[in-house]
Amino acid sequence: MTRASDFTETEAMISVMANMMEADRSYWVVGGGPPRIASLLAQALYLPNLTASTEDGVIAPQPLVPLSPLMQFVSAKASYRGVAWTNMNTVCSLASTGFFDYGMLATLQVDPYGNINSSFLGGDYYHPGRRYGGAGGANEIASMCWHTILMTTQEKRKFVKKMDFISSPGFLDGLPGARERAGLPAGSGPYRLLTPEAMFGYDEETRYMKLLALAEWVEVKDVLEKMDFEPLIAPELDRMAPPTEEELDVMRVRLDPLGVTISDGKWIHL
Amino acid sequence: MEVLDSGIGRLFHVPDPDGHRAYIRDNKPRALVEKVMTEQEAVSRFVSDGDYLCFDCNMVMRGPSSLFREVIRQRKKNLAVGGRFTYIIVNLLVGAGCVNHIDVGFIGVGSALTRVLDNGDITVTEWSNSALTMRQLAGALGIPFIPVRFLGGTGAFQYSAAKLVKDPWTEKEITLLPALNPDIALIHVHQCDVYGNARIFGPSVSPWETAAASKKLIISTEEIIDTEYIRRDPGKTTIPYYLVDAVVEAPFGAHPGEVQGLYDSDQRAVMELLQAGREPTGEGLKQYLEKYVYGVANHQEYLEQRIGLERLLALKKEAKIKEGYYL
Repeated sequence: MTRASDFTETEAMISVMANMMEADRSYWVVGGGPPRIASLLAQALYLPNLTASTEDGVIAPQPLVPLSPLMQFVSAKASYRGVAWTNMNTVCSLASTGFFDYGMLATLQVDPYGNINSSFLGGDYYHPGRRYGGAGGANEIASMCWHTILMTTQEKRKFVKKMDFISSPGFLDGLPGARERAGLPAGSGPYRLLTPEAMFGYDEETRYMKLLALAEWVEVKDVLEKMDFEPLIAPELDRMAPPTEEELDVMRVRLDPLGVTISDGKWIHL
Repeated sequence: MEVLDSGIGRLFHVPDPDGHRAYIRDNKPRALVEKVMTEQEAVSRFVSDGDYLCFDCNMVMRGPSSLFREVIRQRKKNLAVGGRFTYIIVNLLVGAGCVNHIDVGFIGVGSALTRVLDNGDITVTEWSNSALTMRQLAGALGIPFIPVRFLGGTGAFQYSAAKLVKDPWTEKEITLLPALNPDIALIHVHQCDVYGNARIFGPSVSPWETAAASKKLIISTEEIIDTEYIRRDPGKTTIPYYLVDAVVEAPFGAHPGEVQGLYDSDQRAVMELLQAGREPTGEGLKQYLEKYVYGVANHQEYLEQRIGLERLLALKKEAKIKEGYYL
């Protein structure tokens, strides 16, 4: 396991996520982007029997990679060697009954309580500055998996105190029982938020975002400069390991040879 | 039941389970009658202006692409669309002037959509992919609403037409979604007989809920097979015949999308469609529609004159995964 010295920010984030994934847990993973590549990387190197499912109800596939960006669901390649081909309501019912330990999502914006916006930026609902696709399958993932893990980039415009719109729920207003009062399953909610530079959790009491770990190439102030609000900071911060040469090889050669996802972000040289 | 909170979004179809039952009683053919017809006839007879339109999958994944093109070709108007799990089709239908309301699950956003949203030309109600699919399930069950453990607490709830209530048994809060019984459903399948007994192989989104909730259903199929094959292997039937109003034979009917086990998606055609949809002036989409929809009489002309045999055969070759399909 040789640690790499040159990689993109996105590759680093995907590597950290892949190493967090567990063999004996079940995942509901959003269609494309870093969460999907991370689950494919974990499967390729560490967890051949990874139990990750997608919104179309494909249970634990071993996809024939690479997957082109629009073909992350339903397609023969995306659903290859699953253990079951079900459908959207079946996978939703599995989440509803508590079968999914972790939901993995990307987001446009996140607030201190882990609420997610993927609907629009700027303006108001009826006159959006820029409209995006909508809650999609993220709402059900963030509502019903036991733990939600988010992946995004470390940018001030993404870590906002107050969002334009909540597409999918975090801890809502952060008050005790807020999710339950909104009809969401008890004991579920945000767990980790990962960027190329930092990993966050949430305070047990206040539900406020808390910085837990840093990438090797940044310090606390670098991360705080890229947030619209100040998170809590854990008394001892961990350092996230950079990717290995082997992980980069799998990502670049097998999972994303065109660099659609992994080329995003700046290059890091250690 | 105490209503604690209500979304302010517009509800296009107020649930009417008895009305729906009466429609089924009076209109759906229970007899084993042949329903094969051209796409022109099917769309002209069963898609009406103002209908609520839904579909299974989308324009890149086993969706009813040839039927979408026919709906546009016949210049249907004022459709409401269940915009779920789609990248392209909602923008395309909007750009063609067919739509005045969208229920949003997930929609790929293009210039046509951005324009009408800015102008307020169409109304939009917010949901999520599973919210729309659960609404269809309620419609398919013939019940007026369905409780779900998601959507609550969010803007997606606030701008939907869902309600938060106190469950009379647990006395806990729960979100209720209104049933959805669309007027017309379009579903593309691998195989179907002349009566409408239809087979879908592989993963899907919600073929059963989409078919069973809808008043009218047009099936397009890669091939028409003999009923004898249906009866020999009934476990493969996804949709039984009496749910179906029309059967349209449409080989490569999902093009530019994929039909699993049969042909791969045509990435070149998908990119052309996406780029046309994103081109900011709207001219790109106009040209696309002229070339691929209005400029051809039907699906066969689309395949023969715009795509060509060479490309279609290559797409068949590229579909290298056969495990789990047909056999």
